[in-house]
Amino acid sequence: MGTLRYIGGRLLFLVPQIFGIVLVGFLLVKAVPGDPATLMLGPMATPDSIAKLRGELGLDKPLPVQFIIYINRIAHGDFGTSWQTTQPVVEDLAVRFPATLELVSFGLLVALAIGIPLGIVSATRRHRVLARIGDFYGLVAGALPDFWLALILIYVFYSLLGWMSSPIGRIDVMLLPPRTITGFYTIDSLVEGNWPAFRSSLAHLVLPVLTLGLVNAGPILKTTQSAMERMLQADFSLYARLCGLPEKLVMRHALRNALPSIVTIVSVLYGFLIGGAVLVEIVFSWGGAGQYAVQGVLNADFNPVLGFVIFSALFSLIVYLVVDLVYLAIDPRIRQ
Amino acid sequence: MTERDRLNVTRRTVLEGAAAVAAGGVLPASFPSIAAAAEETHTMVIAAPATPQSLDHEFDVSLGTIDSVGGLYDNLLEYEKVHDPKDPEALREDISVHTDRPYNLALKGKLAEKWEVSPDGTVGRFTLRQGVKSNWANELTADDVKWTWDRKLHLNGLGPFQTGVLGITKEEQIQVDGRYVISFHVPKPNPLLLKQMVNLSNPVYDATKCKQVSSSDDPWAHKFLENNTAGFGPYVVSQLTRGQQAVFKARADYYRGKPYMDTVIFKEVPTSASRLSLLQGGSVDIAQFLQPLEYITLTKASGVKVDAVPASFAIWIELNAKIKPFDNVKVRQAMNYALPRDDVLKAVYHGLADKQTGCIPIIYPNFTDKFWTYDTNLDKAKALLTEAGFKDGFKSTLSYNAGDPVQEPIAILYQTSLRKIGVEITLNKVPAATFYDFVTKREQPMIFYLDSPWVPDPGYSTQLYFNSKSYVDYSNYVNPEVDDLIKSGLETLDPKVRDETYTRVQQLVMGDAPWASLSGRAMCSPGAPTSRASPTTRPII
Amino acid sequence: MALSPNQPGGPIWSTGRRGAGGRARFALRYFIQLLRTHPVYAGGYVIVAVVAIFALAAPLVAPYSPITADPSVYLLPPSFSHLFGTDVTGMDVLSRVIFAPRIDLAIALVGTGLSAAIGTFLGALVGYHQDARGVPRFLSGFVMRSADVLQAFPVFVFAIALVAVFGQSIASVVFAIAFVNIPIYLRLMRSQVMNIRRMRYVEAAYVSGMPDSYIIRRHVVPNAIAPVLAQLSVNIGWSILLTAGLSFVGAGVRAPTPEWGSMIATGFPNIMTGQWWPSLFPGLALAVTVYGFGIIGASIEFMADPRRRRTLANAGGPIRDPGE
Repeated sequence: MGTLRYIGGRLLFLVPQIFGIVLVGFLLVKAVPGDPATLMLGPMATPDSIAKLRGELGLDKPLPVQFIIYINRIAHGDFGTSWQTTQPVVEDLAVRFPATLELVSFGLLVALAIGIPLGIVSATRRHRVLARIGDFYGLVAGALPDFWLALILIYVFYSLLGWMSSPIGRIDVMLLPPRTITGFYTIDSLVEGNWPAFRSSLAHLVLPVLTLGLVNAGPILKTTQSAMERMLQADFSLYARLCGLPEKLVMRHALRNALPSIVTIVSVLYGFLIGGAVLVEIVFSWGGAGQYAVQGVLNADFNPVLGFVIFSALFSLIVYLVVDLVYLAIDPRIRQ
Repeated sequence: MTERDRLNVTRRTVLEGAAAVAAGGVLPASFPSIAAAAEETHTMVIAAPATPQSLDHEFDVSLGTIDSVGGLYDNLLEYEKVHDPKDPEALREDISVHTDRPYNLALKGKLAEKWEVSPDGTVGRFTLRQGVKSNWANELTADDVKWTWDRKLHLNGLGPFQTGVLGITKEEQIQVDGRYVISFHVPKPNPLLLKQMVNLSNPVYDATKCKQVSSSDDPWAHKFLENNTAGFGPYVVSQLTRGQQAVFKARADYYRGKPYMDTVIFKEVPTSASRLSLLQGGSVDIAQFLQPLEYITLTKASGVKVDAVPASFAIWIELNAKIKPFDNVKVRQAMNYALPRDDVLKAVYHGLADKQTGCIPIIYPNFTDKFWTYDTNLDKAKALLTEAGFKDGFKSTLSYNAGDPVQEPIAILYQTSLRKIGVEITLNKVPAATFYDFVTKREQPMIFYLDSPWVPDPGYSTQLYFNSKSYVDYSNYVNPEVDDLIKSGLETLDPKVRDETYTRVQQLVMGDAPWASLSGRAMCSPGAPTSRASPTTRPII
Repeated sequence: MALSPNQPGGPIWSTGRRGAGGRARFALRYFIQLLRTHPVYAGGYVIVAVVAIFALAAPLVAPYSPITADPSVYLLPPSFSHLFGTDVTGMDVLSRVIFAPRIDLAIALVGTGLSAAIGTFLGALVGYHQDARGVPRFLSGFVMRSADVLQAFPVFVFAIALVAVFGQSIASVVFAIAFVNIPIYLRLMRSQVMNIRRMRYVEAAYVSGMPDSYIIRRHVVPNAIAPVLAQLSVNIGWSILLTAGLSFVGAGVRAPTPEWGSMIATGFPNIMTGQWWPSLFPGLALAVTVYGFGIIGASIEFMADPRRRRTLANAGGPIRDPGE
């Protein structure tokens, strides 16, 4: 019951936060120079046709009025249309959001697979060499520019060694994407039994996922390391060792207590990467949501930017809510 | 106009060519059993910078749209094809003045079977081919042509320029004279009357279908034509996913026979480097709009053929005559002398461009380079500046398009060169989309521009850029004598008079130097020779 | 009373008997000890020092001018005359890499400095008045909710939008960086201040009648500063990355200003055609610099943690921590 009230309270809190985000986003986007009407019609347009189009797009009304119109529309689920794709923003995002999610999720999985073990090893300092590597890696990974690393990986594995297939897009140019169920090409093609699509989408994921994984393993490693260190030196660990518990058990307990920090950093990374993976998306022509928003900003295409901002903010907030619930589940102290 | 050159622009001409070859021998369509057994589906994949935003060309001049319109719709007329003198395997349109041919043009009928212009030059009458079906199985009649042109008058997009250049302002000027006969009545004899019918901006729509899908608030089928085809061309759009790909399917009932390529897929691949790698890897057959260095790399690769031919596409820098110090002709001339063209052609274009030695495309009729004096000469530039009163130089800004990778290096080279004569310019990088905003607002002192006038006619080209009332006169160039000359040249059909007129126009314009003339880009097309069918004429764009 | 090691950020330098000079002297000795026993940290300081030297003395160090194009030598691979090769307009990559810190470092320092100043100021106020009533409470709430909103914004999109709004210039990049970082310092300082406020010595000062401003200045800020410094250092590195990212997308500094991110961007098309050097070297320089700042941040964290500081004291001999 208490949990439900808690969730309810948090969800209620979402509303003013989303409102604030929309407001800031709207003002920001309107401040970007560039007249969509001119851009849509191109250099051949006459001033008359531009004026006509501006009227159609509602650009000639005062700002507060435009804002209210916009709020009204999104309250009804209409996020407008992107003038670049001429599709409704919701439909565009329905394709691009899962694309980014797929990339980011796999990337974080790889990052976890690298970061947690190395972090634990560095914390326990049992293998000196590995521990040193862990320290070094934690700092270096965070220093690497992800777009640069992507370029280097492309150069090495594609241009030089020729191991990878073309580093462009989510699936081979000649194959049709699987039918959309989740929007994740890998899952959808598995469900369909479409092996060529599955293999191709997996192959195309390798380089970008590697890029994101390598770079984001850094913060995960550092967090794991510091959290484990703290836990291993905490009173309860000392006590456990004094009582004669085997080291493995001590480690397990320490890890369990270190989980909240790790979960926190993963949730922060998740929220960040939805928009933060844009550079990698650009290098690999991924067709993701961040790329969509950046194109929108640069091309004075307002609706995609706002739509993306709202959805990614919603996503972050929901992730944080889920994380807090996970805390509730794993940390008995909070439950009281 | 649009970033598209004049050479053999249409994909359909390519594919028709290939179709002719195919019919001729490689995969005979008259043996259906063999064709079926071969299981060849002849798909061509093209890596393009962008999918079309909208298939309604009235409002969209993007690259993808032009390419698509070329394949989806047909015009009344077309130019005959000749082999390019330097690249014999490449076909190009024959746009020269042929004094021995009717109307001095080498024209072929497409949707029109016969055409004639009245002796006084004010009426152009076209007899349409009979039995031509659209992709909605409606027959081509004069009504379709009328509806198409009326649409231009009503919609206020690109239309007004196309009609204005002919002097057509009222629907009454376009008359249906018979089921298959249509005539255009222009106020003065107009040399563009026939050429406009070849212009890719003026294809013919299937009016029957369009009227069916129109509504009271969309009487000209704009919404429908944005995403669908209603025309008489060889292809129809079967799928359009913007930002990803466009798929065109060949029409079996195309009046010239089914095209060779059953399916043409346009894939959107925004980065040229990516398009290059797709071509190298064999995933695509043609890669569009690569960077010069990328073309050079391809010429060394096996399995790829690069055709490069001079075209009408040029790049230059507008010198805004309304902003000091570019209101002074000597300053503008100095800027031309200071531009390191040879360096740019070598380092940026790697030989894939020529100097633009005139103000209309080199390949267009009546082009002359005898007024060109601006080969790079820093001393002359400095002297001119001193004469103009700028002994110590001046400061200015050069704006360039972030989306075009050649512009930044060119700008940097120019900046270094100008520094040597005391001119300090700041480089202003403008995002691709707001770039045209900048150009059309005409508030920047110096800005790049690339373009190609679509109709191979000196009147059309000069009218675009040098007529002081033209929307595209982005350099704010004003010279009443030039205005009059251009106008008079558009009102006569006499080729000698036109030659004299436009030679004088070029003389004046070159003297006034409204642009820092840079280069005409070669139209390059790298493609993988399709080993499946080995057409003897390689597909080129 | 021993401090539980689970409580980070406890009072580092207690407001003790020694004055500021004494504290500084001890800090210095700890620092030198740190560098001696952990050469990796020393490496980080060296890196940052070298980068700073480049930034300051670039004209003396670089062999060529970074903004003069020389088309006769375009895209040359690394050689003796051009150690890092040349880029597409013939500019020497090494010289540009050396000049770039002027821009990158300046932007990062000013940007994060601004955000740290504003953020810590606001954060200290908000944290100190957390439990107050009335207007200060309302204002605190407002500031925190605004920070939430700002932080929920996708950082990159926000930064690009800001640069697009203010036009392409160094100032707008600085502004964008400052803006997106403020919430970080705000939160950090706030939580620090809230922790410290509960400390006994702060209570003591309050009870003995010291004014709020004195307490904040004398007790709260010095003790809260170390995590902020650590964060600052890491943040600077991250801001350099952000600047490079913005330039990569085309929303950064003007050409031909040498800047690592825009150099990588310009070199991107060349990678496919086999010229790897215009992009590789700036990226390496970028990574190394950010790494250096990261290490400095780690070293500050080390110094701030009393438990780890103790290991220095034990290792190096008699340095007594005045606070313990």
